[in-house]
Amino acid sequence: MIRLEKVTKSYGVTVAVSELSLEVNQGEVCMLIGPSGCGKTTTLRMVNRLTEPTSGRIFVDGQDTAHVRPEQLRRSMGYAIQGVGLFPHMTVSKNIAVVPHLLSWEKERIAQRIEELLSLVGLNPAEYAGKYPGQLSGGEAQRIGVARALAADPPILLMDEPFGAVDPMTRERLQAQFLRIQRSLKKTVIMVTHDLDEAIRLADRIAIMEAGRLVQHDTPEAVLSRPRNKFVHDFVGTDRALKRLSRISVSGFVRQSPSISISASVEEAAAACVRRRWVWVVDENQRLRGWIDRDSLHEVASVRESIVATDPEVIAVAETATLREALSRMLGQGLRSVPVVDDRGRLLGEVTVTDVENATAAREA
Amino acid sequence: MSHRQARRWLILLLMVAAFAWLISNMWVWETALGYLFSQEAQVIHPRASLLVLVLEHLRLVAISSAMTVFIGVSLGVWATRPGGREFLPIITDITSFGQTFPPVAILALAVPMLGFGLLPTVAALFLYGLLPIVRNTIAGLDAVSGDLVGVAYGMGMSRTQTLFRVEVPLAASVIIAGLRISIVINIGTAMIGAVIGAGGLGSPIIAGLVQDNLAYIIEGALPAAMLAVLADQLLTGIEDSLKTGGD
Repeated sequence: MIRLEKVTKSYGVTVAVSELSLEVNQGEVCMLIGPSGCGKTTTLRMVNRLTEPTSGRIFVDGQDTAHVRPEQLRRSMGYAIQGVGLFPHMTVSKNIAVVPHLLSWEKERIAQRIEELLSLVGLNPAEYAGKYPGQLSGGEAQRIGVARALAADPPILLMDEPFGAVDPMTRERLQAQFLRIQRSLKKTVIMVTHDLDEAIRLADRIAIMEAGRLVQHDTPEAVLSRPRNKFVHDFVGTDRALKRLSRISVSGFVRQSPSISISASVEEAAAACVRRRWVWVVDENQRLRGWIDRDSLHEVASVRESIVATDPEVIAVAETATLREALSRMLGQGLRSVPVVDDRGRLLGEVTVTDVENATAAREA
Repeated sequence: MSHRQARRWLILLLMVAAFAWLISNMWVWETALGYLFSQEAQVIHPRASLLVLVLEHLRLVAISSAMTVFIGVSLGVWATRPGGREFLPIITDITSFGQTFPPVAILALAVPMLGFGLLPTVAALFLYGLLPIVRNTIAGLDAVSGDLVGVAYGMGMSRTQTLFRVEVPLAASVIIAGLRISIVINIGTAMIGAVIGAGGLGSPIIAGLVQDNLAYIIEGALPAAMLAVLADQLLTGIEDSLKTGGD
């Protein structure tokens, strides 16, 4: 789909990108990563000719991009950059409509597309279409940025740290959403990042760059288990096993777990705690409310009184979360399992430490 | 349009109407000035009615400002394009020089070449008003974030599309501020046209100075001041309505 052949970009004597060859297959997410100044953004910008290569050739769909008009080439690729990308003088819908407008789509088609895209990124069209970027939160702005890049349904997306300027919680949610969207749309994506965890989570293949050269281009698993040289080894760090966990979704490991109602009596709770030390507590709508410990059941009148950590946000993980997050919650709570909830906070089951161990062992083998 | 903005435009409209009424009813001036300067035999400059003087004045301002705006904005845009970048220092130097040079001196130089009347006055006003427009156009366009321009190109806009859909709208309020300054200066400076027979509100002032008649001077100065205030308010209104992108 996208093929770079010995592409070099130099500014005078400084070489930003040196003889880089890279192939990104159709429907694949390629994460370009490396320390700052390694040439990853320059590489991205050469694909849509915002920067012209000094030498080498770039093919998109087998066609040499040097022979395509830059405007035409760019309109066939979605482009999203960190934070600042939205035009502040245009409403959300005008921002999304930029490329469809350039492609002279009909009005009704553009309006329909705006609605589709806002729903796709989880924003209510009626509420957001007329807002200006200045009225959006960081996370909302990033989502509009992604929606805008997808506007004309381009087969290729180029993204330069699209989730860079938001807080970690929002970033995690945006990444989960990106994965969900990507699974259904199957775009060919090149994304620049400096965040290894993000790369591992989103990539089909990771391209690691150092000083303008491509050091390793491989699946996240391969990069983590078989770093090609010392640079990659140091770059991925010593917690590789932990990082690998962030490739694995908890959804495959959710198992049934005992739970009791918050209105249950102490006797019922004690009965539920016979076989294990702690039990999840849910309300009448099956929503997780916390957990109770066997030892805390003495000298109390009701389950309500002895419940621990009542904020489900803190103790539970979503179905879309990774094993790494699950493990981190377990360690944080000092428990051997973590409850899994759906998007309405209802208890689906739990993931245990043993599951995490088994998952690690399976990948190791 | 917000409620506050609607009220502002209404007030402005009323002010314009009041001004129009004032300049088309000479008896008001005659009574007021006659009361203030009872010792003067004549309190109204006999050359022409105020309405005629104001229209003459506005014609001077309109012609010269139209030229400054068109040429000033064009120069500013060109100086920020890749092709014109290298001329940027020369352009700012020349326009600064145009403002440092006194308009009266330009008149003195222009009369031998262009004769008396409208033409040399317009030339002087044009040169004098160029600086704020060129300077603000350049400043406004330069202040547009390079990242945004990069995104516009990255999404497939051509240079012209980027200029008109992204850069100019984002720089608009700064550019309009330049126009406002230039036009208000122009209304005041256009007085000198009377010296070489271009008419306008300068005529009663010159006559008043020559004949030592304060009433004449006020007859010219007061409407000119009102005109300047009105123009300033009108353009500030436009300027503010362009500062969107939020609330």
